[in-house]
Order: sequence, then structure tokens, then C-alpha cells
Amino acid sequence: MPYTIPIGPYHPALEEPYKLSVRCVGETVQQAKIEIGVTCRVIELLVQKREWVPAVTLIERVCGICSNVHAMTFCRAAEQIAGIEVPARARYIRTIIGELERMHSHLLWAGVAAECIGFHTLFMEIYALREQVMDLLETISGNRVNYGMNRIGGVNRDIPDDPEALIAATQAMAEPIERDIVPAFMNNPTATRRMSGIGPLSKEHAIEWGVVGPMARASGLEIDIRADRPYNAYQELGFKIVTQQAGDVQARVVVRALEMLESVRLVTEALRTIPSGPLRAFEGMPRIPPGEGFAVTEGPRGEAFYYVASDGGTTPTRVKIRTPSFVNVPSLEVMIVGQQFSDMPLIQASTDPCVACIDR
Amino acid sequence: MGTSHTAEADLSRAALAARLAAIPGSAAAEEHGDSLWISAPQLDVGAMAREMRALGCRLITMTGLAREDAETTIIYHYCLRRQYVSFKTCTRGGAIASITPTLRMASWIEREIHDFFGVRFIGHPNLVPLLRPPGLKEGFFREAGPPEQD
Repeated sequence: MPYTIPIGPYHPALEEPYKLSVRCVGETVQQAKIEIGVTCRVIELLVQKREWVPAVTLIERVCGICSNVHAMTFCRAAEQIAGIEVPARARYIRTIIGELERMHSHLLWAGVAAECIGFHTLFMEIYALREQVMDLLETISGNRVNYGMNRIGGVNRDIPDDPEALIAATQAMAEPIERDIVPAFMNNPTATRRMSGIGPLSKEHAIEWGVVGPMARASGLEIDIRADRPYNAYQELGFKIVTQQAGDVQARVVVRALEMLESVRLVTEALRTIPSGPLRAFEGMPRIPPGEGFAVTEGPRGEAFYYVASDGGTTPTRVKIRTPSFVNVPSLEVMIVGQQFSDMPLIQASTDPCVACIDR
Repeated sequence: MGTSHTAEADLSRAALAARLAAIPGSAAAEEHGDSLWISAPQLDVGAMAREMRALGCRLITMTGLAREDAETTIIYHYCLRRQYVSFKTCTRGGAIASITPTLRMASWIEREIHDFFGVRFIGHPNLVPLLRPPGLKEGFFREAGPPEQD
């Protein structure tokens, strides 16, 4: 006899609220229905009431984890409408912040995964490492969250004068990731038994549900905006897509762990080769002429999309935000079919869901 | 690189534009911001969804924009690996055909546009509120947001 269990809006493994109605037979999940909208802030509407500069500030608050991605993608869409060419140094700084943000997001998620499978030692190691990334972000921007680095036409702040210290601090993180984190998720028997084969998403389902980012790459799809449509300094720095084929929770963990190593390389290379020059294309208030445009950026959770329209006035007339979690989370409905009810927290967490991003 | 969402072997931009122009109600594609844009008020969106699926295109999202004539402009944003295509059409009598039966990922997107702009997506299997905060009527963006200028 099937029965239905409501989960949420508050979850054992997640900080943010959404509802899930799970139908089970015994311990086996048959179906799940997802309800969102608990924390809808209507940011798309609010930003249309802000002038272009405070609009960036508001957009950065869509998410506390990938705040930089949102501000940067919005700025890139506005720059496209206005035909603004961002100076090379600013493009490199945007790349550095974007990759550090990816590292801290992936480490946060890896810590949640370790906690979900009861691997507390690994959780502690991962969060200690994440603090090092947060320190780097604070050194550069002055903030741990909402870095305030982006402005239309470039960046607000330069990187500190001593890039060698930043390079050393970044490179120091590669060893523990390679030595401890990647093998722990790939080879440790405890981790493997808890994650291998759990929450599968086939390549066909990944296409059908339109998932993006590490979720898609863990199901064998070689898609990454950094390679497919290079922006910032990715053309100059080069980029290698990380994929796995299994499409299960373990594959999602491994993709994110290996991507951190690529981020270390990108940050190091960017710091070594950053060109000198101005930080922004112009001083003063931006003037965005009538027009429309969009920008896509590879955030930690995948493709972030911003459509922006302007009538030439002081505020945007339309801002459409499509976050990666908005397309990744619905695929839970197929991932959980036939899985054990006790694995629900881990499977949900494996999508790295950001409800702030989904609800906006 | 390698495989993508599609069986596409990097269809040339000209060949892609020709396929898109052949969709019923479609129009010639224009290059804009290194993407293809097609403005087609009479677009058969069902045929468009089927053709984009056949091409292996991924639906990124849909954008709604309120119009002064009480209709809603709908922009369908697609991606074919490195190529981006946006179809711009509009509702008729406040409604338009749902593409969810063809493209499953459109379901939440259409529900969101229904919440924000009050658009009825005909044929959507479950057009219930998705994000709309309690106390707000469907289409509340239309009352609060600036209208699009034609």
C-alpha cells in the first residue's frame, strides 16, 4: 500500500526551504512532487525599480553562495547592450573571483555531502580548507559574502599588490584536494558504498530535463560555458571540462572535486599572467542605450542566464534571471524513483540545490 | 570537446538559420549580439518546440515581457552548444500553446510566466502557481512593471 510523506519546507540536510511530497511503497520511493516559492522575493520586479548601479547591488543578493556570478552576468548583459568592452585586467579579476567562488561553493557542497554520509572527519577537513578560500576572497574584496567586485564596465577593486602571496595561498590548496578530498570521494569504501549507484540520472534524462553544470557533466554531458562560449579570460587561460559517466551521487561529488583542481590552476595562471591596465571602461554612471541582450556564465551550479532590456532610461525595463538550480532541481523527480527513502537527503543534496536562486 | 546535448555536428549558422526560418509562422533570423534572433508574432510554438527538439537544442528559458496592448511578448531562448537562438513571439488573447508536452523542462518556466504575467499556456498539464507569493494575483508583474514600448 503506497503512502505519502511530506518533507520540508525545512529539511534535515539543507538550510533552505522547499516542499517535497514523497510517495513510497515500503522503503522504496515511487514518486516525488516538488513545491517551491516559499522564499520568493520577486527580485526580477524589484530590480526594474532600481537605477543601474544599485541594480547590481540588488542582483548580487539573489544568492549568498554564488553572488558574484549573478552580479557579473547581469553586468555582462548590460555591457552587451551598450557595446562596452571590459578592460583585460578587469576580465582577469572577474575570472579570479569567479573561480574562487566556485571553489568555496564546491567545498561547501562537498562538506554537506560528507556530513550526509556520516563522514565527519572529511567534513571537518573540507570546511577547514573552505576557510582558506574564504580568506582569499576576503583579502581581495574585503568581504566573505557579496564581494561587490563587479560594476557595469569592469570591476570596482584591484587585486592586492602582492600576487605572489595569493598564488602561494591558492596553490597550497591543491595538495589537500588531490591528496585527501578526491581520493576520499573516489576510493574510500565508506563513501563509495553510500554514494555509488545512488540517485542516478542517465545522460538521456539529463538531456530531457535540461540539467546544467556539474549535474550534467556527472551524467556524461560535456557542456560548460567556459569552454563552449568563453568569456572573461577563459580564452586566454584555456580550460578543461571535467566529466564523469556514472550519473550518480558519487559522480557528482567527483566532478566537483576535480573541478576544484582546475579552478586552482585557473586562479594561479590568471594571477601570474594578469595584464596591467585600467579596471573599468569608464568612470561615473553607466548609460545603457535602448536595446536588449543576454549573457550566460558558468556558475558553481551551472549555467546562469540573464536577459536584460533597456529603454535608455535610468533603470532596466526587464531583467529575467534563470538560475542553474531552477533547471537542476526538477530532475529530482526522476532521480529518486526506485531509491531508498533514507537516501532522500543525500540525493537532494547532490543537486546542490540553492532555493534562494530558484525562488529569487 | 566531444558530445553535447545534441547529435549536432556543429550545424553551420546559415544551415541552422534556414531550418529555423522554415518553421511555420517563423521569419528570417537576424544576427544580434553574436546570437540569432527571430521575431515572429505568428509563430507556431508547438512546431518550433518540435523542430528545436529534433535539432537537439536545449531550452535555456523563456522571458515574458508585458505589452501595452495587454498581451505578453514571450521570448524562447535556446542553445545549440555554441549557437544561441531566441524566438520572439506574443500571446493572442492572453494565451499561447504550451511547449511542455514536447519539452519537459518548460513546465516550471511556463508556470512562472503564468504567475508573473497571467499568460494561459494551453495544453500545459499542470498550470498551478509556482512562485507567486500568497495574496498576489496572477499577472502581478503586469500591474507593477513598466510596459514594453513597441
